[in-house]
Amino acid sequence: MFKKPAILLFSLIVLSAHANAPNLIFSVSTGSITFRSDAPMELIKASSNQLKGIFSAEKKQFAFTINVNSFKGFNSPLQQEHFNENYLESDKFPRASFEGKIIEDMDMSRDGLYIIRAKGNLTIHGVVQERIIKCEINIKNGIVSVKSNFTVLLSDHNITIPKVVHEKLASEIKIEVKAELIEK
Amino acid sequence: MKNKFQTYAYGLFSYLAVAMACMTGNGALAQELGFKSYKLQEDNRPFKINTLFKNNDGYIYAGTTNGLYSFDGINFKRIIFSKSSARDTVTAVFQDHNRQVWVGFKNGHLARMINNKLEYYQPEEGTPAVAITAFAEDKGNNLWFATNGEGVYYFSKSHLYLFDSADGLSDLHIRSLVVTEKGDLLAATDQGINILSLAGGKKKVTVISPKNGLPDYYVTAITPAGNDRYWIGLQEKGFCLYDHTTGTVSIPPAVQNWTYGQVNSLLVSQKNLWIATEEYGLFNQAGFDKPVMAYKNGTAFQTKINNLLQDNEGNIWMNTPSDLVATAGHILRLYPVYNQSVYDNIHSMLCDHQNNIWVSSDGGLIRYILTENGFTEKKFRIAGLDARTDITSLYQDIYHHIWIGTMGSGIFLLDPETGQYRNLDENPLLKKASILSITGRGNTVCAGGLEGVAMIFKLAEVNRNLTAGYSFTNYNNIDNIGNNYIYSIYKDSKDRIWFGTDGKGITVLENGKFSRIDKETGLKDDHIYSFTEDLDGNIWFNTEGAGIYRFDGKTFRNYSLAEGISDLKIIALKTGPLGNIVLVQRKGLDILDIRNGTVSYLDNKQGIPEVNTDAGSVTQDSMGNIILSTSNGILVYTPVENTIHYPKTVIENVQLFLTDINKEVPGSFNYDQNSFLFNFTGIYYTNPDEVHYQYKLEGLDTAWIPTRDRSVSFLRLQPGTYRFHVRSSLSENFEGAHEATYVFVISKPIWKRYWFIILCILAGGGLIYWYMKSREKQFRKMQQLQQEKIQFQFQVLRNQVNPHFLFNSFNTLISTIEDDPAMAVGYVEQLSGFFRNIVNYRDKDIISLGEEISVVQTYFYLQQKRYGNNLALEVDITDEMKRNTFIPPLTLQLLVENAIKHNAVSKESPLAISIFVEDEKALVIRNNINPKMTGESGAGMGLQNIVNRYNLLSREPVTVNNDGKTFTVILPLLKQYDNENTDH
Repeated sequence: MFKKPAILLFSLIVLSAHANAPNLIFSVSTGSITFRSDAPMELIKASSNQLKGIFSAEKKQFAFTINVNSFKGFNSPLQQEHFNENYLESDKFPRASFEGKIIEDMDMSRDGLYIIRAKGNLTIHGVVQERIIKCEINIKNGIVSVKSNFTVLLSDHNITIPKVVHEKLASEIKIEVKAELIEK
Repeated sequence: MKNKFQTYAYGLFSYLAVAMACMTGNGALAQELGFKSYKLQEDNRPFKINTLFKNNDGYIYAGTTNGLYSFDGINFKRIIFSKSSARDTVTAVFQDHNRQVWVGFKNGHLARMINNKLEYYQPEEGTPAVAITAFAEDKGNNLWFATNGEGVYYFSKSHLYLFDSADGLSDLHIRSLVVTEKGDLLAATDQGINILSLAGGKKKVTVISPKNGLPDYYVTAITPAGNDRYWIGLQEKGFCLYDHTTGTVSIPPAVQNWTYGQVNSLLVSQKNLWIATEEYGLFNQAGFDKPVMAYKNGTAFQTKINNLLQDNEGNIWMNTPSDLVATAGHILRLYPVYNQSVYDNIHSMLCDHQNNIWVSSDGGLIRYILTENGFTEKKFRIAGLDARTDITSLYQDIYHHIWIGTMGSGIFLLDPETGQYRNLDENPLLKKASILSITGRGNTVCAGGLEGVAMIFKLAEVNRNLTAGYSFTNYNNIDNIGNNYIYSIYKDSKDRIWFGTDGKGITVLENGKFSRIDKETGLKDDHIYSFTEDLDGNIWFNTEGAGIYRFDGKTFRNYSLAEGISDLKIIALKTGPLGNIVLVQRKGLDILDIRNGTVSYLDNKQGIPEVNTDAGSVTQDSMGNIILSTSNGILVYTPVENTIHYPKTVIENVQLFLTDINKEVPGSFNYDQNSFLFNFTGIYYTNPDEVHYQYKLEGLDTAWIPTRDRSVSFLRLQPGTYRFHVRSSLSENFEGAHEATYVFVISKPIWKRYWFIILCILAGGGLIYWYMKSREKQFRKMQQLQQEKIQFQFQVLRNQVNPHFLFNSFNTLISTIEDDPAMAVGYVEQLSGFFRNIVNYRDKDIISLGEEISVVQTYFYLQQKRYGNNLALEVDITDEMKRNTFIPPLTLQLLVENAIKHNAVSKESPLAISIFVEDEKALVIRNNINPKMTGESGAGMGLQNIVNRYNLLSREPVTVNNDGKTFTVILPLLKQYDNENTDH
């Protein structure tokens, strides 16, 4: 259910953009998300390169989404199982997403390095949290490279950690996003 | 018009103080005094002030186009960045509940002040790209900040969130942000007031716009007005009052037709609202229904005013485009209603029940009715009084009749409503009497004067009529007071009557009994001028030359120059509306704070003109405000509630080796971190130049040390616990002065700390224990050696007296005696020498290798005689070796003997023994093996003994090697007498 708004927005952006200015829509060609839990007893790192997303330069709106069960690189298969079944419940909430609007004005037709901030709804584990996320954007020859680092509090998304793994799982997860967008 | 310019230069900065006294103009009558103006510039480059801020200590900060400045009343000091030389334009300053100062910049950056330096604050979410315009802290201690173009941000659980258009904000340009009493926030925007709330964790925005009665879309300022109501400043329509409880907006009548343009800032001070405008200067309004009055400082003040702020003393601060400006606001107001010729006749003044002012004039009185926009004056002529009559005192009784006391013409009574008057001639004594004062309480009126006037009138209902007679008592012949001048008679709240005399102290009438208070009972001065009673019921009076006294019912307490009274020629003594004792002086007012005994001063530095020195010319209005007459008009002093009248002492920074350290927490330092510098200030913006300081470093100093400097350093402090105290005062009297402290500890160096000393003692003990143990071990080793030695000796002796050896030797001897007697003698000599050596050496642990070799060679000589050339001994040892290396005695002899004993020696199988040194380290004894048919018993006891002895003498082991062809014993060479083993 949670993914519906994201998809709706997704299609809205695409449709409306097509209607008005079809050449100002960008979509993710390659994109990865890496998360990192730096707990006292264990470092867990996993990543997925199945990031999908779309950005309307004219409306400054965007939507990004990823399949939760596509994350790989856990320390053990059991850990990955716990991640999917116990914490993220990926069968119930198969996707995580971030959709919203860029705060700053920026000119996508100009090459250069920009620091921008996006305000939007971050959906993880079915819980929607409004967030501001800072991104570094590099535009070169029509390719938009996006890089961003931010943190997510597990408690913000109703992800409860059993006491026994407190020392093995950080309460704040560091997330790194890298993506390249090209004009559609 | 009187204009005083004072210019000071302090380092790079200069400031300009303008004290204004007089002016003429339209509109408001009153002028606010205490106007001061300061220029903020560096290298002659002026800066624009964007925002003013007062921290918890009352310290003022100015956010400017050149960065953040602190202002102590004298100097501006730039607060620099710790890791940057940036001079970003500051647009907002705030201090949170943790005393953390936050700074917002035009470029959207945020910084915090840490140890008096700025450090950028960079949240994960980044910082805005537009100016930060305001901060606020909600009831959950979350920090909020508003921007000019991105809306309102807030922190929650270390993350940053944003209210913007998507959340319903009507506009993203925020001018002002205020937390309401309810807990939500009001944001001033270009599109109405936005009410921001996070109820239930959900963002909610409600807009108050012209639809809700707001007169203007464009909101410029929001200021709390109490009871969850807020004054709202508007771009075009002046200001209005928003009630957050009802959600309604009301517009003051005087603002209905506002023509003064944009309101920039609002400030509430007591009942007054101060209004700063974009083009027309400063205004104030004394109440919702009152007119809006222009503030006048004597010059054209029709300029852009911004950022109103009230300091802790009640002064109002703001900035014009060029200056930082302060005014005492309503604390001191001057009404220039009379000219010099009128002033010359003023000897007494009275504020009546309608707050109209009466002054003495030639041949009568003048009444001034003061209104917001001007005044009316009326002269009341009284027959019997002429230009030369000195009216000394005015008093209004409960029936509103005005009592006029004169010098030489007695008392007149005037009905202010009708103008009817009469001479009070009931008593012939009063007819030509000289009256010095008339006071009263309730239906009692007291008149004191020369030549025995000490009258107390009891007013009755009949005295509503001016013509009715008054009943009175004259106390002139009681207690000798009548022969004196009675300066003042005062009836207190406990119905005591106090008579102040000229030279005979005080006489108190209590319950019909008189008592005397004078020099004999401890007063320093018997000339008593006037009395007042404070709100706690203490009686205060002033004397001619010994200052003032407080009587708390039991004891008298004197306040004189040492207590901070500025001048002993005190004109009058009054209790001010907030309970403080006000001493009217020629130069202004001394205000004695009765809570802590501190004295503050209002004088020409605040623009007070020359004060009339007649005691009767001081009066009080119905609020208790002090009213006096000055050369430039009537002056009203209205103290502001919740203000302080003393310098607040603040330790600005603490430096260790000239580097700022955190002064908010007690310090803990190493023994070599011992040089400190303290910078401090007594914040007193009213008169910053007059602050005196005393400091004391508890732990080093025992007494307070006075200073006018605002810094003190302590170098090379010894280890210890210290408490730095500093206090500030406006006089030399520091009793009750506000104090600031900083506690710190310098630890002893490690070698002076108890635990280290204990550790050292333990280690020393351990060392001694270890030494004792090793001694013991050594001793045991010695004992063992001794035992081994004895055993060895026994072995050797037993071997040497081996009957075989003797038998063989004697056989050899017998055969030789016959063949060669001379040789037999030599043989016997050798034999005896051999036994002598055994006896000589048996007690020694070691002997030189040379000595041992000679024993071996003697032994070999004896044996060779028996075995002839079948036995060969080869010794290859240098003389140096023989001298410098050592060996346990008879070791080699035993080994050679063993070799002979265990091997067959014959012509077919000769035995060759060689002794040599290998690698200068080891002594090797090697012989070939000729197995014997019948083994001789020996059980290896001798060899084992040698091994044991060497174990005690050397670290190197003895090695025994039998490869079937040769038998080799390798002995470590003992290089020297290296231990005490040898002296046994």
